[in-house]
Amino acid sequence: MNNPTNDNPLNILLFLCNWGAHAAFLTLQDQRRPIPNEIRMVRTPCTGRIDRAMMLKAFAKGADGVALVGCEPGTCRYGSGTATSQRNTQDVQEILDIMGLGGERMRFAAFLPEQSEELLAFLEDFSANVRKLGPAGIAAAPVVPVPDLAARKQELQQLVETYDIHACQDCGKCSSACPLALIGKPFSPRAIASAVITGGIHAPGVQENAWSCLTCGLCYDRCPSAVNFPAFIKDLRHLYRQTALPGHEVHGGFFHSLMRSMTSTAITPKRWTSLPEEIRIDPESTTLFFGGCAPYYDIFFGKRMEVETNRILLDSLRLLNFFDVAPRLLADERCCGHDLLWSGDKDNFMRLARLNVDKLNQLGIETVITTCPECYMTLHATYAEQGLKPNFKVVHLYDFLEEQIDKGAVGFKPLDRSITFQDSCRLGRLCDRTDLPRKLLKRLKPVQYTEMKESGGAAICCGNSAWTGCDSYSKALQVKRLEQAHATGSDLMVTACPKCQIHLKCAMEDPFRREQLSIELMDLTSVIAQTIRWE
Amino acid sequence: MSTQTTINRTEIIVTGFGGQGIILAGRILGMSASLGDKKESTLVQAYGPESRGGACNAQVIISDVPIHYPYVNTPKILVAMSQAGYDKFAPALLPESVLLVDQDLVHPENVPCDHFAIPATRMAENLGNKMMANIIMLGFCTAITEAVSSKAAQATIAKSVPKGTEERNIEAFTKGFDYGLSTLKGREKRAAGQTGALAQ
Repeated sequence: MNNPTNDNPLNILLFLCNWGAHAAFLTLQDQRRPIPNEIRMVRTPCTGRIDRAMMLKAFAKGADGVALVGCEPGTCRYGSGTATSQRNTQDVQEILDIMGLGGERMRFAAFLPEQSEELLAFLEDFSANVRKLGPAGIAAAPVVPVPDLAARKQELQQLVETYDIHACQDCGKCSSACPLALIGKPFSPRAIASAVITGGIHAPGVQENAWSCLTCGLCYDRCPSAVNFPAFIKDLRHLYRQTALPGHEVHGGFFHSLMRSMTSTAITPKRWTSLPEEIRIDPESTTLFFGGCAPYYDIFFGKRMEVETNRILLDSLRLLNFFDVAPRLLADERCCGHDLLWSGDKDNFMRLARLNVDKLNQLGIETVITTCPECYMTLHATYAEQGLKPNFKVVHLYDFLEEQIDKGAVGFKPLDRSITFQDSCRLGRLCDRTDLPRKLLKRLKPVQYTEMKESGGAAICCGNSAWTGCDSYSKALQVKRLEQAHATGSDLMVTACPKCQIHLKCAMEDPFRREQLSIELMDLTSVIAQTIRWE
Repeated sequence: MSTQTTINRTEIIVTGFGGQGIILAGRILGMSASLGDKKESTLVQAYGPESRGGACNAQVIISDVPIHYPYVNTPKILVAMSQAGYDKFAPALLPESVLLVDQDLVHPENVPCDHFAIPATRMAENLGNKMMANIIMLGFCTAITEAVSSKAAQATIAKSVPKGTEERNIEAFTKGFDYGLSTLKGREKRAAGQTGALAQ
């Protein structure tokens, strides 16, 4: 190849379709045409096979631009490759825009085999554009260090001590409560515990179990010795990640790439760009609303199902406005880092956490309000646990609402639905606040409000957490949960976490059981926003 | 001496069952005005069988100048915590009066003036003590009518209630006060046509 890259400050990745455009590229090479130096070509069977996770991963690993060059619509050898690729490119462009990298760093084009000059023009134009934009500024992923066995052993020892794993009595209450074990997965929290004690953590079954743990906290709730299993799994994953490459991420690691990219100070996200006009915000306020990742989810999952998690954020703002609070918003809001920490990437979590805490402290923010249970737990508790010093108070939107509504003169319109409630594991068990959403739920005026068979502190999980280790058992778990919801006779399942919505909705997409499983989902925030009124 | 019209004078009747703390509420209003807000005030309280279970009332006058006659004929503010008390004093209400009621105990009909309601007794029960309904009502009255300042009322409450219950009574006052502010805000919002959180 005639594109040496050593002296190049920029990296442009070119995914080139094997069938049509590759011939054009070969012609350019044969004729020694000046292909821009930054271009690094990867030959693929079809651009449709380059999924969105790969595109984003390219940026997360240090690419400054990514181009997909495939076939003209209608000439795709596989039929739908071009259309898929165009759609994927568009999604990633939108996400790059919100992230602050800029959608123009990503391009799709199609050429016929004989259009070598047109291809060259495209490559030159794209390279010139990326050169103008400059480096993307995301540090390349660090290489996994050679394992230092003594140090690892020491860390494992430390882990056993910190979480007092020896206190495990091997009683099995955890396994008998674990939603994964109950659904039939060969999974046992106590087996992981004894594997850690006996030094067998690298056995394949143990590793697999550690990565599929939901970290939902039900076992911790039941453990007579109070072994904090979720936190232990969190650290165990960190330990694994120090000697192994990631590999258990779902959705191709899309969200992990997204979060890792956001640790870069070189990028400035562009959030909250299309707020509805009636929403009032105050750029000077010391009360900040922290949104979370909902806009990314809507773009990413919009390809397969209808999710509207961004609506939760808008309804939160409307509710704040309802009570005359015009909050500040961070235009360059980054991720809270929850999923990085809970999938073993503590280093990048700490980078994000430091950026967030420094930013909010420096802006003089006094109160952070959020409606996402993961953001709430992370900002409220985890940052301080990890040794950071936030100078702000973190309030869950439900707390704010309960306080305001309790002042009186506020009521609710009747809601012509029968409802049931899906607890969020982060808010419910990990923050011990199962009562909080229920205070609000009891104020609503639905036709009826029925709890599912397992609810509150015993609620079962939506099937996945931290975008890690989703498998057929996760699906079975979701199906079980949806059946429980139907058994209550409800026609609306109220949720408290955007991810519960995404995961439960995914299970409903089952083409054979859609009829039995489908139930409308709505976040508690939106239900309140719809029915609240001044009396 | 200045004429009647220029005198800033507020006449208040608090009425309810004996035992609800009606007299105490009246006394706190009057003391807050005189000791806290440095105004003049008088209190006439109903003695006799009423204060032991029947309809009972406290008549308070708050004024910027000395008060020569302490009885209230036409209340500017009527606080009613029982139906009997309301029925007794309702005829004296003028169009410019303000009526405050406990919404679970009093069902006013054909009120000639502006009126506000609060479930004071229910709120007191939720706070753990029905006896604090009067303090909640006091907070509500303070927020709605601004007859006395919130600061003066709180200071007087702390001195007037049984030792050891000060904090809980202040909490009850705040509850009523917040409810009052919220009620006013709700009115304002409804008047502006913003009843819900979503755009109509």
